[in-house]
Amino acid sequence: MDTRPAEAPDAPPPPRRPAAEVVRRQLGAAGRALVFPAVAAVLAFAVGAVVILATGQDVGAAYSALFRGGFGSAGAWGRTLLNATPLIFTGLAVALPFRAGLFNIGGEGQLYLGAIAAVWVATTLGGPAPLVVIAAIVAAGLAGFLWGAIPGALKGLGAHEVITTIMLNFIAINLVTWLALNPLAGASATPGTGSVADPVRLARLGAGLGRAHWGLLLGLVAAVIAYLVIWRTARGFAIRAVGLAPEAARYAGIPVAVNGLLAIALGGLFAGIGGGIEVLGVYGRVSIPFVANLGFNGIGVALLGRNHPAGVVLGAIFFGGLAAGAQEMQFAADVPLDLADVLLAVVLLFVTATGIAELLIGRRARALVDGTTLGRGLAG
Amino acid sequence: MDDVLGLGPLLASTIRFATPLGFAALGGLFSERSGVVNIALEGMMLISAFAGVVGSYASGSALVGLATGLAAGLLIGLVHAAVSVSLQADQIISGTAINLLALGGTGFLMETVFGSGGTSPRVSAFDPVRIPGLADIPIIGEALFNQSVLVYLLYLLVPLTVFVLRRTRFGLRLRATGEVPEAVDTAGISVVRMRYAGVALSGMLAALGGVYLSMGVALSGMLAALGGVYLSMSLLSAFTENMTLGRGFIALAALIFGRWTPVGAIGAALLFGLAQALVVTRGSDVPIPQEFVAMFPYVLTIIALATFGGRAVAPAASGKPYRKE
Repeated sequence: MDTRPAEAPDAPPPPRRPAAEVVRRQLGAAGRALVFPAVAAVLAFAVGAVVILATGQDVGAAYSALFRGGFGSAGAWGRTLLNATPLIFTGLAVALPFRAGLFNIGGEGQLYLGAIAAVWVATTLGGPAPLVVIAAIVAAGLAGFLWGAIPGALKGLGAHEVITTIMLNFIAINLVTWLALNPLAGASATPGTGSVADPVRLARLGAGLGRAHWGLLLGLVAAVIAYLVIWRTARGFAIRAVGLAPEAARYAGIPVAVNGLLAIALGGLFAGIGGGIEVLGVYGRVSIPFVANLGFNGIGVALLGRNHPAGVVLGAIFFGGLAAGAQEMQFAADVPLDLADVLLAVVLLFVTATGIAELLIGRRARALVDGTTLGRGLAG
Repeated sequence: MDDVLGLGPLLASTIRFATPLGFAALGGLFSERSGVVNIALEGMMLISAFAGVVGSYASGSALVGLATGLAAGLLIGLVHAAVSVSLQADQIISGTAINLLALGGTGFLMETVFGSGGTSPRVSAFDPVRIPGLADIPIIGEALFNQSVLVYLLYLLVPLTVFVLRRTRFGLRLRATGEVPEAVDTAGISVVRMRYAGVALSGMLAALGGVYLSMGVALSGMLAALGGVYLSMSLLSAFTENMTLGRGFIALAALIFGRWTPVGAIGAALLFGLAQALVVTRGSDVPIPQEFVAMFPYVLTIIALATFGGRAVAPAASGKPYRKE
């Protein structure tokens, strides 16, 4: 707060323009928010360099191929954005429940169910293609929402969401496998469902961006909606209150269990839509085995983006680029593709480590840590 | 006495399913009792399962594999401790990071060490060792005492854990660290050191579970013991990517279900093992699609947590980073 008197006797400083002040503060806040992710990313690349050296490859060549493959050309950006699209959704699926103090590791299963629901609707429903697309995405979101509500309800019975969401992932993957191989099985030679008709697919963005599709824009819209829900609605306030101080929220008459359930179900909604958009935009069907780890990678995306929708979008592009670049790195420098997963995990390992930031910038680091924490043990 | 109901094979199968869960649950116990939530059991098992196979592959000796597996578990335990205790990261997030690191890291190392992903070459494993006398007990003898040495190790570790936690100075200090770290600190004992010890032990115990998964039983032994159903189990003497399939989390659920006590945790692990063994050995009598059979342990885990999880009492300081004021 600026509490200086308006008219100082000597050499009054020219009053700062309010707009510039606001921008400066916002940039300052964004800059501080980037401290942890930046430290974590630098450490991850350092660990990655050691790993590459240990396998006897050239770190410089590997990392330049990684960057080139992720961001070096329009085609590279196309692959990056293609990868980033589902990660925006699965990142939001973690970020939103996190605001209520719940750790949703169930994005994987929620995405699977969204994908199969979208395929089911898109292959059975007749009518104008745009309406079918909308119906398929709604079905995907609904499937994810309901699957996400289960760990929310179980939390009320004392079952920790970290364990139940993981268990529900395995159940969902088996359920989707059965659905795709039995009632929804297609005639194709490769196991899986039938394919969605071309008019019901999401169009490509064009502009030299390869296979990147309109789902990306839906992802950006989803991020904006998530932002508005969390920071501009009474429900969002209740969810954040439950995450920041459950006891205080309870005392203020905000029901903790209901808001937690709603937050994780909304997370499931985003993951489900992500699954629907992935099949409508990329694969056109659910093949068995279906694409793996989009849900898990959403955890890294959300935490790198500090559980803020804008951060989630940036995190998704970062990891999307990492995955795209890893292909180039494998091709050019003979470093296995899985290094991208290793880098992601190491980022995640360090991104909440207040100790590192304290070593670097002293005790001020503690002030930068978000109030919402998970660490409350595994009992209900 | 004839085993008309097939109880012997059922018990043998139960032990095989319960053993990796039992090791990991004991591992979770030491970590949680020191005040560190260990979501990373899954990743610790997976990395150790891989490290064990590499050690056994390189040396031709299962014992060397056990040593490399244990070393990997210890290392990952120390990483979890360093990040969550020293660097004060969120313990649940740090554990999740280790799980993802294990998944990506073992995939990366499969390519680097064996040149391809998927499944590693077959390695020397721990053949079942028949204990004369005990194995001759009717019905249960063969099931309990014609097992891998790792299973016998688990039999010994259960009473040992009870003794260490209840009767030794280390056990008392460890439990106190998980309940009231401030008091431990005031008594001049290092909270950090106790938590490192708890998490490191946790890593090594989870490692035993992982090593049992990847090299607990040689294929010949499996065939003889299970008569055909071996294919639905992953207990082969090789490493397969993501072979733990959530067992670390099921072990955590067993720990909670067993109320953070060694005997309770082992009991819960045996219960989960029995349920899975029933499905595998008797499941073919009922026409259920294999996907639904595969869901069973996960559904059971959720039911167990939802029924009894709420009444469980976790160590009071579990999950909270400790800061000296």
